[in-house]
Amino acid sequence: MTVSESVIETGESPERATASRPDAASGDPAVVVDGLRKSFGSGTGTVTAVDGVSLTIEQGSVVGFLGPNGAGKTTLIKSILGMVIPDEGEVHIDGVDARASPRAAYADVDAMLEGARNDYWRLTVRENLRYFTTVSGVEPDSVTARHDRLLDRLDLTEKADVAVRDLSRGMKQKVSLASVLAGGASVLFLDEPTLGLDVESSRTLQRELRRLVAEEDLTVVLSSHNMDVVERICDRVIIMSDGEIVADDTVDALLRTDDSHRLELTSADFDNELLATLTGRPAVVRTESLARGGRIELRADSDQLYALLADLDERGVRLDDVASVDRDLETAFFDVTGMDGPDP
Amino acid sequence: MSADEPVPESTGDSGTELADRATPRRAGYRHLMRAVLYREYLVFVRYPANAIGGIVVALFFFGLLFYGGRMIAGQALTDSIEGIIVGYFLWTLSIGAYSSISNDIGSEVQWGTLERHIMTPFGFAPVALLKGVAKLVRTFLTSALILAVMLVMTGTALSLNVVTVVTVATLTVVSVLGLGFAAGGITVLYKRVGNWLSLLQFGFIVLISAPTFDLGWIRLLPLAHGSALLQRAMVEGTRLWEFSVVDLALLVGVAAGYLAGGYLVFQIATRRARRLGVLGDY
Repeated sequence: MTVSESVIETGESPERATASRPDAASGDPAVVVDGLRKSFGSGTGTVTAVDGVSLTIEQGSVVGFLGPNGAGKTTLIKSILGMVIPDEGEVHIDGVDARASPRAAYADVDAMLEGARNDYWRLTVRENLRYFTTVSGVEPDSVTARHDRLLDRLDLTEKADVAVRDLSRGMKQKVSLASVLAGGASVLFLDEPTLGLDVESSRTLQRELRRLVAEEDLTVVLSSHNMDVVERICDRVIIMSDGEIVADDTVDALLRTDDSHRLELTSADFDNELLATLTGRPAVVRTESLARGGRIELRADSDQLYALLADLDERGVRLDDVASVDRDLETAFFDVTGMDGPDP
Repeated sequence: MSADEPVPESTGDSGTELADRATPRRAGYRHLMRAVLYREYLVFVRYPANAIGGIVVALFFFGLLFYGGRMIAGQALTDSIEGIIVGYFLWTLSIGAYSSISNDIGSEVQWGTLERHIMTPFGFAPVALLKGVAKLVRTFLTSALILAVMLVMTGTALSLNVVTVVTVATLTVVSVLGLGFAAGGITVLYKRVGNWLSLLQFGFIVLISAPTFDLGWIRLLPLAHGSALLQRAMVEGTRLWEFSVVDLALLVGVAAGYLAGGYLVFQIATRRARRLGVLGDY
């Protein structure tokens, strides 16, 4: 049982006493979404942001939401959190119906939302932790040691008494993460947690987040455009497109799903004319002219590969280098969503 | 188990984990009140520039009104200076309470903290009300200072029975707090409308100087009846218990009505913003 669950079950905080939460040991999934639908606008201008999405997120899992802009990720997350009222569908958090008993359902939930400060910049780091601990229903004096350890984990101890407004952007993101963890929330929603951070700050935040997830047995739902972040942190990835889930699997499974060969062929015999001819071939993903010859990238099944190699052989092309291209989450994402990949 | 009783110790503390598994206690409304009021206090004492700026601007305009008016109107202004001071005092109280609550809700939306509060066990409702109380106290402090300077500047004496003045002024301004909540709700829904809503502050001048004794129905408007009672209290020296029951009941009724109405507008606007998906979009 987590701290916050202990508090909720034994306390009499507003609206909690009447809607007791189930024990985590009961095995209820952390989040269940059933047939959630949300449209904006009316008449011909109606836009369906989330189109009948159903999903289950188990306790202790780290799930990443991926999708192009307008895919419906943020609307889905905000609908789960009750910040957007869906047109249809149900949301259960730890087995509690979020619409019928919102306060009980969200008692152990906190969120870092995209583009928002999430905390008060004119207060110090520690004052923010204490304030948001209180509003999450826990007396801050009873979790001072937890706050100290949280500050230590996130390298914020020296800045504990500094106003958040005086911190760097990376530090502010850490404070935001610390404040959502301060009250002992066990289900976290993080929307673009590394947005705007430099590489080093982003890596640090990812590392600390992963460590906190393991230590705290947190359930994390993370939405990000940064596929490296999702690949590094998440156990499972949900890819959305046009308001629907188009893929839902583990990172490993998504990386394995493609049976095609991904190769990069380099040859001094690839002149511009030949590269132009090859550009039209279905197996050729891209071509590149080099100072001496050129390079082509292939994504081909076996038949296409052998046919292309035979064709090149007939043209007298001698390959200088054949390299395998690793499939990454970005490639999987573009395959699944059917979008064009980024320019080379 | 009482509200503040420690939660039973749970297992699994490895010593390296973050959770204080042995001692977390539930926070109730008392803790929430302390947290919200303390936050407001910290912001007030740590960043006094806004308050000082407000005081300086208010006194500057009063100086213009007083010295400019005396040059133009001479004795006529001097004869009515007590009423002007009381009205100006109430106006600074009103705009302080109104703008602080409506602007504050706008800022909470912009910062994403309103959304965080909505998910908490308390919700944003009691937080907003407590913030309103804090803003009221803060505004009283700054307006009291403005009042003192005005009295010294003009050499005027007023009846300042603290119980009467604070009670009547508070109940009068509570109706404006309701308008602030309504304006905050409109800000949640339509976002950048703060400048337009600020224009309402000039309407307060009309309400404060409204002829309530000539037109009875005007007493039902915010500020109007309270302003008339405050004039009687501060200029004529009427004590709280010397007002009629009807006057006091109307004062309380108007305050409660506008506060409840404004709060209802805020709740409806927030719910509509959630339905339209614009709660946090700034």
